[in-house]
Amino acid sequence: MIRTFSPRARQIFLILFFAMGLVACDINAVPRYDEETRAAWSEVLNQYQRRADLVPNLVETVAGFARQEKETLTAVVEARSKATQMQLPPDILNNPEAFRQFQQSQAALGGALARLLVVVEKYPDLKSNQNFLSLQSQLEGTENRITVARRDYILTVQKYNTELRTIPGRWVAGVLYPDAEVKQTFDIAEQAKEAPKVKF
Amino acid sequence: MARFIREWGTAAWAIRGVALLLCAIHAVAGQPALAAEPKFPQLAGRVVDEAALLPAPVRERITGWLAEFERASKRQLVVVTVKDLQGYPIEDFGYRLGRAWGIGEKDKNTGAILLVAPKEREVRIEVGYGLEGELTDAISRAIIEKDILPAFKDGNYEQGIINGTAAILKALGWDGATPGATINAPESAQESAQELPPIPVLILIILFVIFRFGRNAVFGGRHGRGVWGARSRGGFSGGGGSFGGGGASGRW
Repeated sequence: MIRTFSPRARQIFLILFFAMGLVACDINAVPRYDEETRAAWSEVLNQYQRRADLVPNLVETVAGFARQEKETLTAVVEARSKATQMQLPPDILNNPEAFRQFQQSQAALGGALARLLVVVEKYPDLKSNQNFLSLQSQLEGTENRITVARRDYILTVQKYNTELRTIPGRWVAGVLYPDAEVKQTFDIAEQAKEAPKVKF
Repeated sequence: MARFIREWGTAAWAIRGVALLLCAIHAVAGQPALAAEPKFPQLAGRVVDEAALLPAPVRERITGWLAEFERASKRQLVVVTVKDLQGYPIEDFGYRLGRAWGIGEKDKNTGAILLVAPKEREVRIEVGYGLEGELTDAISRAIIEKDILPAFKDGNYEQGIINGTAAILKALGWDGATPGATINAPESAQESAQELPPIPVLILIILFVIFRFGRNAVFGGRHGRGVWGARSRGGFSGGGGSFGGGGASGRW
């Protein structure tokens, strides 16, 4: 069979074969995936920040119509300041404790906001206020972006961790990137900690 | 001793061979599928009417607008109706669909999708990263509430989709939502049977491709688009844009 190929063709096959082997043991995979997880993580932080930035305006608008919902409003403000004031250590992606704290503070803000949006249902004037409607759609959009950013982060970390823990990536990392560590990923679903209760 | 060395030598070669084989298998098999994706309809044109809500003339009229719009601005808007959302929330379905089709210019992510799911009675405007500043969540929502839902509530899908499309195009700075001139986009990929370049050049090309584009380009990555561009034969295709969950949804 081989004999039917010209020597030229065989040369090409040989080159291709070695090229495949070279690519297969992709020595750049670990740093490349590492960069991907960092980029995905920045996007997560970016979207959480965006949500935090919406809160003061939202609280102010709701307070204008529903001042008696002080408790719910205060809870949102407090959750926001807790989430934004948390110092993120530089190694947060490899630090399970810090990562868990970060998740919890953000989930608390998400929960407080969800409760606020439930309370708002009682105020028809507020619900038809243009400013509120605009803020509400921005908040919905941001929550949705957070979901997407979190999922993208989870996928990139999965890829990175898999590369680190499976052969041949494991060997490559062992020799070339001894500092590479498995990264943390999200496990608590956003807002799942405390579902808002509807009271009539 | 000599025999031991000889045997060890053979074994070492065997190990190397196996390692190389493993590597090759690893490369060809690629990464395992990381997440279940819904099954998307085929991107057969700028209007994909899987749920059969639009009569042919309306479909052509909207397609005309969308083609004109892309010609004027390089941006892509696609109108999609689906039979069902396969159990996914519409927000989830929407951005995955946008990514799977790659609507919008690559790197600029200037794509948007109007997604209608009559079975779930849900509609969504999905906005690519690059258009989020113009077609904001608030504007998307206003379009859904004012232009789309009133007609949908009356069961008039046609009118809702026409109005919604025109309003989205307007929000993106294109006012020409009137039946435009006929469009023809001749695109023929000439496959010329060329002489192969000499071996050293081939080696250089192969190495370049490997190091420039990485493994995914050579063996076909998860997102499919390799070095050889995104254009398919003749028809319409996405430019490779991405989506991050911007936009708004509505229910009726």
